[in-house]
Amino acid sequence: MKKICVIFRHSPIGNASNREGLDFAMLSASFEQEVSIVFTDEAVMHLLAEQQPELVGSKDYLSTFKALSLYDIETVLVCQESAKQFGLSANDFNFEAEMASTHQIQTLIQQANEVVVY
Amino acid sequence: MNKFIIQVNGTVYGSTASFRALRFTESVLSLGHQVTSVFFYQDGVTNSSKLISPASDEHDLHLAWSRLATEHNLNLVNCVSAALRRGVLSDQDAKENRKETSNASKQFVMGGLGELVTNIEQSDRLICF
Repeated sequence: MKKICVIFRHSPIGNASNREGLDFAMLSASFEQEVSIVFTDEAVMHLLAEQQPELVGSKDYLSTFKALSLYDIETVLVCQESAKQFGLSANDFNFEAEMASTHQIQTLIQQANEVVVY
Repeated sequence: MNKFIIQVNGTVYGSTASFRALRFTESVLSLGHQVTSVFFYQDGVTNSSKLISPASDEHDLHLAWSRLATEHNLNLVNCVSAALRRGVLSDQDAKENRKETSNASKQFVMGGLGELVTNIEQSDRLICF
């Protein structure tokens, strides 16, 4: 078992990278790895409710993030600096995630065996 | 000696990620380390297309990966779902999806994300490009 930290950096709109990162995160968790997730930069917009990715030709993978806890992915952090830049507060979150300081994120990265950035 | 698994997310042309991954892999092998597999994910799957035909004065990354794999008996694995989405098909995929032709080189084996995770677990370090 390894500790795998998956970091999302891109906006949910205009990039398929996140969706493939989510596939990787969920599959790793189902293969009994200890997976944690971090949203930073534009990726904090994943947390917003009522998005319609189909309107821009993407699959609605966003609702799948709600299933993270079913996969035993318990550590889901949102960079509070990035959230602030995009005007997001924890009340806006559409699925379970925790606002985290850069220090908390640093600690998580240090504890991980592998860090994968999408 | 360390065991590495290399993940290539960068396309065969238009970004330098795959080239850097290739150089890193060569370097790791020349230093006597082991490469458990090279896993092609996201746009990285385009590296396996045998139809890649660059101009004569340009790098042919498809050929370079294939040669390196033959030389060192490397395990090159494509993520099959990432590949299908991007029009990279093995003979079997072409048959199953009723396409006229396939384009994935035989050097590259189609696999799943499960292989990536299993290999991550068995390796000392995952390096992504």
